[in-house]
Order: sequence, then C-alpha cells, then structure tokens
Amino acid sequence: ELSPSHFPATRAAAAALGYLRYLRGGPGRGLELRELRRARRQDIDDVGHKYYLELELEDVLDKDRTVNCTAEVLYHLGSKTSAPDVQVTVQGELRSTEEADKEFYNRIRSLEKELVAENIPDSHGNVPPELEPIHLLAWVASGYVIWQNSTENTKFHLAQVKHVKQVKRSDEDLQFDFVVLLHEMVSQEVLPWEVTLLWHPQRGAQVSQ
Amino acid sequence: LQVDLWQPSSPLHIVEGAVADVRVPQNTTRSLLPFLQKENIQYTVLISDLQQAIENQTGGRSHRNRRSLSGYNYEVYHSLEEIEDWMYYLNRTYSDLVHMFSVGKSYEGRPLYVLKLGKRSRPYKKAVWIDCGIHAREWIGPAFCQWFVKEALQTHQTDPDMRKMLTQLYFYIMPVFNVDGYHFSWTHDRFWRKTRSKNMRFHCHGVDANRNWKVKWCDEGASLHPCDDTYCGPFPESEPEVKAVAHFLRKHRKQIKAYLSFHAYAQMLLYPYSYKYATIPNFNCVESAAYNAVNALQSAYGVRYRYGPASSTLYVSSGSSMDWAYKNGIPYAFAFELRDTGHFGFLLPEMLIKPTCTETMLAVKNITLHLLKKCH
Repeated sequence: ELSPSHFPATRAAAAALGYLRYLRGGPGRGLELRELRRARRQDIDDVGHKYYLELELEDVLDKDRTVNCTAEVLYHLGSKTSAPDVQVTVQGELRSTEEADKEFYNRIRSLEKELVAENIPDSHGNVPPELEPIHLLAWVASGYVIWQNSTENTKFHLAQVKHVKQVKRSDEDLQFDFVVLLHEMVSQEVLPWEVTLLWHPQRGAQVSQ
Repeated sequence: LQVDLWQPSSPLHIVEGAVADVRVPQNTTRSLLPFLQKENIQYTVLISDLQQAIENQTGGRSHRNRRSLSGYNYEVYHSLEEIEDWMYYLNRTYSDLVHMFSVGKSYEGRPLYVLKLGKRSRPYKKAVWIDCGIHAREWIGPAFCQWFVKEALQTHQTDPDMRKMLTQLYFYIMPVFNVDGYHFSWTHDRFWRKTRSKNMRFHCHGVDANRNWKVKWCDEGASLHPCDDTYCGPFPESEPEVKAVAHFLRKHRKQIKAYLSFHAYAQMLLYPYSYKYATIPNFNCVESAAYNAVNALQSAYGVRYRYGPASSTLYVSSGSSMDWAYKNGIPYAFAFELRDTGHFGFLLPEMLIKPTCTETMLAVKNITLHLLKKCH
C-alpha cells in the first residue's frame, strides 16, 4: 500500500493520465486528475513494478462532476526504452462530445488557410476560446508522449504548446503537427517534443509515427 | 431581438451562404442560439466574453497607476521594473510600516531588495522571513509576495489577526529572489528556472538557486552538470543571490523564527528534510502547523494541498534554502508549492492570482499565529 500523497504513486498516476488522455481525450474533452484516492505497488520478480491506482477524474469542460477510474501501470524492469504497460477502466460514462467534435471537425475542414498557432497558453496563462479545442488535442498528443516516456523517476506535465500547424490531408483525418513543451518534475527540465496527431470524430486520435 | 452587426458593414450585404458576425449581450444568447439552431444556421462563438477580451488587451499593464496602493493591480503579473517601482512607492508612502533595503547585488548587478514590514512597537521583535521567485518561471510566487504586503498594509487596522502579526512581529519580504532569472523569463525564455551566472567551461548559464545552499550540498536530487536545471553550482553559495540572503539570515538567525519560501507548482506545503528521509526533532509542532495551515487554505475555495516532509512528498533534493534555514536554527521552515497541479503549470492565468493568493494568505496567517503560540 502506498501513500497517495507521496511521489511514487503520483508519478504512476501521471503516466496513467497521459495514457488515458491519449485514449479518451479530444477537442471536446480534457481529462484532469482531481484526486488520487488509493495506490498499491506490487514488485513482480523478473518483470518489474506494478502500480494499482484508484483515480478520481474530471472533464475540464464539465467540472461539476467527477468520474472514478482504476488504472494499472507496469514499469518494466531495467528497461530504458519501453513504455510502461497501462490499463485503465473508467467507471461510468464520460460526457458525450459527439456534437462538439463534429462542429470542430467541420470548422477546421472549412478553413481556407491551414490553422497555425503558437504559445498556448501564452506567458500570462491566456488561451483564446477558439483555440481551446486545439489545446485539448495537444493534451491528447502530449498524453501519448508522456505515457511512452514515463518511468518511476519521471513526472511529466504539458507546459505549453509551443507551435501547432495543421496539415491538410487527402483522406478524412485532421492532421496537426505539434511542438509541445513538456515539464519533467524530477529533473525540472522543460523539453520540446515534436508530435504529429491524426484525429477523426468517429475514429479518435492517433499519433503518427 | 436586436444584434450589433460587426460583419458585414451593412445588413444589405448579408446574403445566403455568407458569413455574418454579430455581438449580443450575454443574456440575449439564450434566445439567439436556439433560434439559430432551429433555423439550421451554423454558428461559432468567436469571443465568449468581450469585456474580458478588451481588458486583456488594454487593461492591467497599461494601468500604470502606481500612485496609490489600490491603484496597483495585484491581479496581473508585473515585470521586475514594475515591482521595484512598487517597492519604492511603498517605502515612501508607508514609512511607518515599511522599510526597503538591499541585501546585496545579483550576478548581473541588480540590487536584491527586501521589505521589512511591521509596527515599530517595541525595540526587539521576532521576525518571519518570506521569499518568492527563487525560481524564475514561477511567476505566481512574486505575485503572492506582493499580495501579502498589500493585505498587511490594507488590513492591519481592521483585521485583528493582521494587527497582531504586524505588532508582535517583523516580516522580511523578498518579492523577487532571483531577479536576473525573473527578468530573463520576461524577455527571453518564459520557462527559465535558474540564475544567470555564466559558466566558464560550458555554454550554459545559471545555477539552481534552490540547490546552492550549504546543507548536504550537491548530494542526491541535484546535478553537477552546468547545463542541467538542477545544477548545484561550482560550490555552495556560489550564487551572489544565495550568498547575500544566507548572510542576512545568518546575521538575524536569533530573531527569525520562521522561514517561508514560495514556489510553484504542485499545491503542497513542505517542511524539512528535503535531502533525506528522516523526521525533524520538532515534528509534532511543525506537522500540526502544516495540517492547520492546509485546512485553513482549503476553507477558501476547497483547494486541496498535500503536505509533509519534502523528501517523501515531492522528491529528494539537496542544498535547498528550506533545509539550510532549518539547520541554521529557524524552527519553522516551510516551502509552499502554489497552484496548480499541472493543468496550467507555470502559466497560471492572471485571473487565478486572486483566489490563489487569497487562500494562501489564510495558510500564512495560520502558520504565523501558530508560531506566536510558542510551540517550537
């Protein structure tokens, strides 16, 4: 059993949140951790360390309620290159974003010029409302990067979207090339990452390799 | 139903398929939007709060009314120059309560200003030291230091707790510890953390001012590499800022009973040790002070802070100011990590300055009053 207020559990929770944002986030849904309720760690010989977490989440666009979720995060022994295995189970329903997704999709598709933006939020923390869906998609993209790069000695957060450029495609996906700044809490470094995200209202998000 | 047409310039130019931009008062949206939906007219809200957008553009910074305490805007982030002007102003205007002085000079030659706050009620008074902005990018820190001073000056006559605090104690407030770094975060790199000292061998600048103190210096949780953000420096107190403050605190160690350092972000109230997993001798006192402070903080808006020894709550780090202050005989040494927990991180929006500072004031007052009750 681990203390939810101590760092080993909170680092695993950050990795789980990254994975969850990649899986379930979108231009109309931004998942944030309200509270880490419980945490357990299991040391598995020759395999690694497995964390069992009980999380309370909120959707930043629907703050009046919370959703519970359980997560398992397995950090592989001695591996510097493989991502932790993460499984999450969301208890209950997340608010539907079907309409907001469709509206966003249509809006971007109908832009004459490809969308370009930078510094989201700006130095003073401002996000223009029309860029909020792009901000949330950056959470999806950075969620993937955070999940892939998390270890027991790291805790990543998205510090800022440095740059985003839409790339028009011949298929039905939207493509956004991001440069995100990730803040790593233990080393205190703020590092840029390039990540390309494909998104479709029905198919969801995918990081393009 | 009337709307203010922003685009096109005349209703005559509105044709089917063309875009029209309109402005309506907030309460009109209740009738306008359903109407548009019913008529199958596609719409997007471009600006959801016009007043706010205008204020963001023209307000805050251009309201340079520093002629009165109430004219200074405590709900925006201020540049180093603005903060210094503000301190000069308070020093002139509230000379019975405020004394501004310098403890030294930064690497780039800037003065290191401190405000001494309190009533000159008796010859010898204990003191509390508060510093903000050890790390340049943590802008909410200096914002809080300014807020604290404002609250002290505005409420010491009407609020019994504040009156007690300013009568029985002196407060040494250093609104910006890392002046060079703070300036750099405004002009060059918003995410700069360290000081701006030049390194002889590498092309990298700066030392982590919270790893440069002489307490288990450069052990775990600090880096020997000059390009790293937790670089401990070539030797303890190598940074003139750290050396100057350490000198001041050493000189006044018998007078100073509490050391509070403000950082961001994580929503935590931390106490020693950072450099090792161990319980401090006066654990009971400090832990109960922290517990009460965090509850007081939460009472404002329900925001939860975690609390505990820094090593287990946040991470192990060596050479921190908090550990050094404690080692130097200051019984209450705390480090606050203010809002938030990663949503905005260092880029906390200005509209959250007020709630963050309001709740944090409750914690600081709580700790101060706890201190006056002689549990050391």
